[in-house]
Amino acid sequence: MPFLTIKKLKSSASFQDLGRNNAQHLGFSGSGAADEYSYLLANKLIGNELYDNSLINNEKIINQHSNVTLEVTLGQFTLITNQTCRLVITGADCQSHIRKKNGEEIVVKNNIVFELSPEEELNLGLPKKQLHSYIAIEGGFSVKTYLNSASQTVNEYALKLGEAELKEGKTLPFSIGKSSLIKSEFFPPEKPINKPDPQDNFHQSEQLYLRFLPSPLWLKLTPKTQQLFLNQPYQITPQSNRMGYRLCSETMIINRKASALSKPTNYGTIQLPDDGQPIVLMKERQTIGGYPTLGTVIQTDLFRLSQKRPGEKVFFVPISLEQAQAQLMAFHERFNFR
Amino acid sequence: MSHISIHPTSENSVLITWPEKICPVQHQSILSTLTKINDELNAFIIESLASYNSIIIYYHFNKITLHQLKQRISNCITQATNEKFLNEDNNLITEIPVYYGDDAGWDLNAIAQQCQLSTEDVIKLHSEQVYRAYALGFTPGFCYLGTLNKKLMLPRKSTPRLAIPKGAVAIAEQQTAVYPNICPGGWHILGQTPVALYQTNNNSFEPLIQIGQQIKFVAIDKETYIELAGKSPITEEKM
Repeated sequence: MPFLTIKKLKSSASFQDLGRNNAQHLGFSGSGAADEYSYLLANKLIGNELYDNSLINNEKIINQHSNVTLEVTLGQFTLITNQTCRLVITGADCQSHIRKKNGEEIVVKNNIVFELSPEEELNLGLPKKQLHSYIAIEGGFSVKTYLNSASQTVNEYALKLGEAELKEGKTLPFSIGKSSLIKSEFFPPEKPINKPDPQDNFHQSEQLYLRFLPSPLWLKLTPKTQQLFLNQPYQITPQSNRMGYRLCSETMIINRKASALSKPTNYGTIQLPDDGQPIVLMKERQTIGGYPTLGTVIQTDLFRLSQKRPGEKVFFVPISLEQAQAQLMAFHERFNFR
Repeated sequence: MSHISIHPTSENSVLITWPEKICPVQHQSILSTLTKINDELNAFIIESLASYNSIIIYYHFNKITLHQLKQRISNCITQATNEKFLNEDNNLITEIPVYYGDDAGWDLNAIAQQCQLSTEDVIKLHSEQVYRAYALGFTPGFCYLGTLNKKLMLPRKSTPRLAIPKGAVAIAEQQTAVYPNICPGGWHILGQTPVALYQTNNNSFEPLIQIGQQIKFVAIDKETYIELAGKSPITEEKM
């Protein structure tokens, strides 16, 4: 059986796909790749088929998730293999390289498919910017799934339902070559692109504006409070992770309305706790929450936010539902997906 | 209908909100509406979930417009309201055994003190009530049960514990719940149940408590707890 082995893991890593989109009613987090852009790009470059968990019923994808990638946060990760395989790395640039047995080092560029042989090891260093890198393997990882997804969630490890938390020494079985088990009745096979589009600048390096759909509470705020919220920068605090991004600002937005009954949360919900410092809920969010909410950040901006680090600043700007839907539609079209 | 709002909460979801109250009649009507929506709009729906006074619907926004969706949801709400008395299958009460001894109920004495009651009264007030399962969430298998007797209402602990044992029966504000697994938490622990809160099978997850279900806690002694659990309750020192 072909498998990779994690030789070094100094930060954190997990298996991710597009998440568990129909188990929130049982209390399971939606989970899934933090940065869908880099996740989808990795699958596209390696030629593994993309599909949407929410469109396919159980029987069709039993334990065969060719689109599962490794999400490595802050690099510092080393893989070895027992059989030659083809891989690609996207997302945060970890200055990766392959180290041969004779000590020779070959630079591995992001977004370029490469081969790894049993005599070599793949090293990811600490990225200079961004957070998450995605490693896809041709043929796909063979991963234990639960409730229709292979995505791992920190708060759900204790349930022992899917793969155990990734640690040094863990072996990661994969299928050689193209996966033939999943027929492309939903999505026609795409010719893999081997070079990233030079025009492509999904993760802009300049200031990130988080476009959001306003909530009924937002519409009740005074114009002065709204202006304050929109005009000041919000800094990402170190208490940010795959569950949520905690932000802080110079002036607090105070909401004197008593907290309401707990309601279902969204990916991107902007919560406003009593301390006036907003929290943007991310992929591993809880399914319901009781804080007042100002709105929901649109998904394409959440993929961008997920790559921002503590200390970086963001702004908020309201957007209409039509614009938000058009953005997401264009994003999916980019990958011929959905 | 005027008291129910339907508001888009993301590119592909709407939140349906009823008045801000914990009320069994309203909640039953919410669950009937949810069933109706899932039946009628199945082709458009990705996922749905309900809480105390709300439902979220995730939909395929490329298959139906918000306007059309809202209209069809409104129809479902009207129909479900008319049919609500036909659906009375929630009369069954599920009993959950609880060992309320102070080795299992880590906060039992503190609760009694804060509520100015004897521990016997605390146990009596907690176990005589029939609760309704209002929402599943926080962690898989965790179910918010209401409404707790007013005499037992306490705010959450100011500093949450890092670990609450699996099976802990706890209270906070107007709610009670059982922790399905070891996890951090700020609720006050009254006792522990030997019963598993969920079963897993291959690709499925079956919680013991379903939303809308009625629940009653039944006091058991330590011997019965050990017999059912196959072990002693977990004391705070052993955690």
